[in-house]
Amino acid sequence: MRLPGQSSRSMLPILSDLARVIMLALVAGGMFTFFAAGSLQLYQEARAVENLTFARVIPAPAEIVDAWHDHHDLLLEEHIPETLWETLAGLSMAVALGVSIAALMDFSRLLRWLIYPLLVVSQTIPIFAIAILLILIFGFGSGPKITVVVLFCFFPITLSTFSGLQTADPELLSLLRAMGASSRQIWFKARLPAAMPSFFAGLRIAATYSVVGAIFGEYVTAQRGLGVFLKRSYSSFRLDQAYLAILLTALLSMLLVLLVNLIERLALRWYYTTRRKSWRGPGIY
Amino acid sequence: MNQPSCLEVRGVSKTFVEEGRRVHALDNISFAARPGEFLTIIGPSGSGKSTLFNLITGLAQPDSGEIVLECGAVRRRVGRAGYMPQRDLLLPWRTVLNNVILGPELDGRSRREARQRARELLPLFGLDGFENAFPDTLSGGMRQRAALLRTFLTDRDVLLLDEPFGALDALTRRELQRWLLDVWQQFRKTILFITHDVEEAVYLADRVLVFSARPGRIVKELVIDLPRPRQSLSRLAPDLRRLEGDLLSALEMGNGS
Repeated sequence: MRLPGQSSRSMLPILSDLARVIMLALVAGGMFTFFAAGSLQLYQEARAVENLTFARVIPAPAEIVDAWHDHHDLLLEEHIPETLWETLAGLSMAVALGVSIAALMDFSRLLRWLIYPLLVVSQTIPIFAIAILLILIFGFGSGPKITVVVLFCFFPITLSTFSGLQTADPELLSLLRAMGASSRQIWFKARLPAAMPSFFAGLRIAATYSVVGAIFGEYVTAQRGLGVFLKRSYSSFRLDQAYLAILLTALLSMLLVLLVNLIERLALRWYYTTRRKSWRGPGIY
Repeated sequence: MNQPSCLEVRGVSKTFVEEGRRVHALDNISFAARPGEFLTIIGPSGSGKSTLFNLITGLAQPDSGEIVLECGAVRRRVGRAGYMPQRDLLLPWRTVLNNVILGPELDGRSRREARQRARELLPLFGLDGFENAFPDTLSGGMRQRAALLRTFLTDRDVLLLDEPFGALDALTRRELQRWLLDVWQQFRKTILFITHDVEEAVYLADRVLVFSARPGRIVKELVIDLPRPRQSLSRLAPDLRRLEGDLLSALEMGNGS
């Protein structure tokens, strides 16, 4: 039952509801249009290529195994150690950098204001452009690749550690203050340990990125490393070798993530005693 | 008064601003605790009981009046009283043993000696064999006992317990009340104990302070003359009911005014 005079007041919510529905419909329609146009584009371009067969783009597993037999000496002695060294050096430096920046951002609101935009900007810079600059700075050695790995990896570590530092229970902090703890004691005995689960979540993401970062750096220019092996394979149209490089990259990344998980299990024994039931074994998840 | 431990609150008032509103939490509170006395504070929620604890621990400063701890006006009061909040707030990444030595550790005392002392006290606190367990694997009652041991090990003369058994089931709660009296009798600490539970207030205390609704004032002070050590609740029943009656009428008066 609507009384006269009420209708004009209740028109406004209806109008704003309508506007919202129209806007959502427009967004959904736009998304669908791009999806359809993109799919069509892919289909037409693939059809335009002559003699496109599955075997031409994806080598048989046996061919990849053969490529491994042909090259495993070189890969094991030169390329993989180089890539691994760049990855581990870069990742360790990213951890140090990420935790330090997170601590600074946690330390003061002003620093957070100053640093946060810089962090986001650092992730918008095309790494490819930087990679060439890095060669001008560090030369053709491992330096530019390690730097690329750091750039790839420090961001997730920073963000997750920072949000972890913010999760410390305020009641716990005031209990510690009531017990006479100094700010330094509170930071090291409560805030930092509370941040560890988040830190490891970030480190896991960083570990997955890190090998790709090293390969990327090597792809630009290098004498050794899986990235160079990949580049040379493509230049000589050896797809079997390229796939071998891709497989090895994935394998290295997975091993690294497993290593991070192992360290986490050892370091956060308290975290996993209570969550033991939901733990599905030493997987990547 | 040159006794080793005392706590005196003189004419303390406190107003604070919460979500843009001025809250008059405490109004001219005065009382003194004798060394080794067990004082319980009871009052409706929002009567400023926890605010009082924040003032005594030094986390906040009173608007007027003063608080004397350890027989002498202490300018920096932080860390001078042992404080235990309702939630146990044990550090989940530390074992029971490392949790209970937090007080001495924050004071910069030797961790090894603190561990030694804690180990000796674990049986009394019903934590024997759990020294290397993480808090999340313990029951609520055990966690509360661990938090209490942590509070006792701070070696402060005055202990402030803010509804320590509030979140426990009735059975565990009764067991812990009896046990707390045992422990208190051995250590002879001055205890200030906040509770919502009339029976608990009477059963534990030498003296009960009844707070009114906001702004908190002391509307009644009830001396509990039941002999120590206290018998079990059921044998004390008639005396308890009488005192509880007194207390309830005081609480109703405080709420009404």
